[in-house]
Amino acid sequence: MIEHLLHINHVCKHFGGNVAVSDISFSVDEKQIFGLIGPNGAGKTTLFNCISGFFPVTSGDIIFDNKIINKLRPDEVCHLGMARTWQRVKPLGSLTVLENVMIGAFSITNATRKAEEIAFEQLGLVGLSDYATKPAGSLSIGLKKKLELARVLATRPKMLLLDEICGGLNLTETDTILDIIREVRRKGATIVFIEHDMKAVTAICDWIVVLNSGEKLAEGRPEEITRNPDVIEAYLGGGQNA
Amino acid sequence: MKQVTIIAIIAGIAAVLPLVTGESPYFIGVMISVLMMAALSSAWNILGGYAGQYSFGHAAYFGAGAYTTLIMISTFNFNPLGGMVAGIIVACIIALVTGSIVFRLRGHYFGLASIAVAEIVRLSALNFEFTGGAQGILLSDVSLWGVDLNSKLPFYYGMLLVLVVSLGITLYMRSSKTGFYLQAIREDQDAAASLGINLSFYKNKALLISAALTSVLGSLYAVYIRFIDTSAVLDLRLSIEIILTAIIGGVGTLWGPAVGAVLLVPLAEVLRSNVIGEALVKHGIVSEKSGLGIFFKDNLAHAHVLVYGIITVLCILYLPKGILGLFRRTK
Repeated sequence: MIEHLLHINHVCKHFGGNVAVSDISFSVDEKQIFGLIGPNGAGKTTLFNCISGFFPVTSGDIIFDNKIINKLRPDEVCHLGMARTWQRVKPLGSLTVLENVMIGAFSITNATRKAEEIAFEQLGLVGLSDYATKPAGSLSIGLKKKLELARVLATRPKMLLLDEICGGLNLTETDTILDIIREVRRKGATIVFIEHDMKAVTAICDWIVVLNSGEKLAEGRPEEITRNPDVIEAYLGGGQNA
Repeated sequence: MKQVTIIAIIAGIAAVLPLVTGESPYFIGVMISVLMMAALSSAWNILGGYAGQYSFGHAAYFGAGAYTTLIMISTFNFNPLGGMVAGIIVACIIALVTGSIVFRLRGHYFGLASIAVAEIVRLSALNFEFTGGAQGILLSDVSLWGVDLNSKLPFYYGMLLVLVVSLGITLYMRSSKTGFYLQAIREDQDAAASLGINLSFYKNKALLISAALTSVLGSLYAVYIRFIDTSAVLDLRLSIEIILTAIIGGVGTLWGPAVGAVLLVPLAEVLRSNVIGEALVKHGIVSEKSGLGIFFKDNLAHAHVLVYGIITVLCILYLPKGILGLFRRTK
């Protein structure tokens, strides 16, 4: 049997009578760039919240690095080496950019100086070094997304969950972020990434799972997914030309 | 200049102040109030200012220190220091129970729950027999290692010491992992959790430090005044005064709470004793018989809470980041 880094096993998530995620299973291999796509309300972010420990699952198991993690708190999941970003960015607004990233770095060190060192390194990687002393709240959306990325990278994760990291960005900014993601993978991390932007997804992902109304609609390599009639219908609506 | 140096210089000045001014009991009395409020507010600031958890129930920890100390001294013949240690233990137990319940709540709900817990403590003290109920506890003469505790000076230095310790802890924390984590919790709890911060552990840590310091101040106060009842040490008013001092000085800053206390406590004193109103009449600026004179001489003294309230509202309206917020450089 192949070792999967992350294994989602028949996961369901209900909110009262509302089924947000229904019996989803898939596996993510090490060093993969894995895309999770689907129209609005498909359950992508809900699934992310379950994986990262923010929501308890209704049933099913989430196995990360051979451990069942669906009963763990978000901070415990982070310490196992899984870090997430947020679709609606959550900068720690009154702290500086550097301090934001240091807080990520503190998950692997107790020393302030060491945290600062790691933080500078990550800021360099995402190209935010010039903004180190600016308050995080004052950045533009594109820079805030980069900050999110730098902050989770500072926790030295084995796996990154990126929730619409390119959402709201222009083409140049998207390209920069995709380059950073490739670089991060080259260094050995696995990436699961929710995205609306089909172009970004097909450009970068090795494997894609498509969700629709909380169910798994399809999975496969990018070129298969883009030709899958079910996916085209879910995305564009039957017969319409978008 | 380094903040440590500034703390040392100010503490040094405060330490020699009584020698310079002579032992005027009134002056020392007001200074003790200033130092106590500065220390209380600084202790609150660790939890409220840095971790962003606005506790409206800090009187509970102050009262726990005060009551435990006096009960230990009068019933079990502890010396005051032993009573103080017992007070810290009781305050920490209350803090842990409180923390485990109210830290599940966020934002305003946390504030409301903290009031509820403090009210439970107050009503318990009011109705139990060992706390003296509504009569409170009166302490006769007390001494420690032959030092006469009827004098005010030991308490002046005691309060000063706790203030310096509070400022020192705040200063150390600001540059340490705990301080960064508390600020992350203040800014965004979900983001903090996703970055590996155990929310309840760090909130409880801040609460314990804050509660322990607050209870020490309660112990000092109780032995200093030698009479306590629930309205003196467990009242919601005290909790609110602590918060106001921090807000007006500058929440989440090292010096804000101390600055707030230095301004507000003497202000309240001046208004209460109606020094200004009486001086106006005495120097003939306003005639004693005129309506204005009667207002200044009699009514204003009763209205000191009103004036204090108006000043507070103006501060909040025009200095939302506190007095220190004015001087903080925009980054």
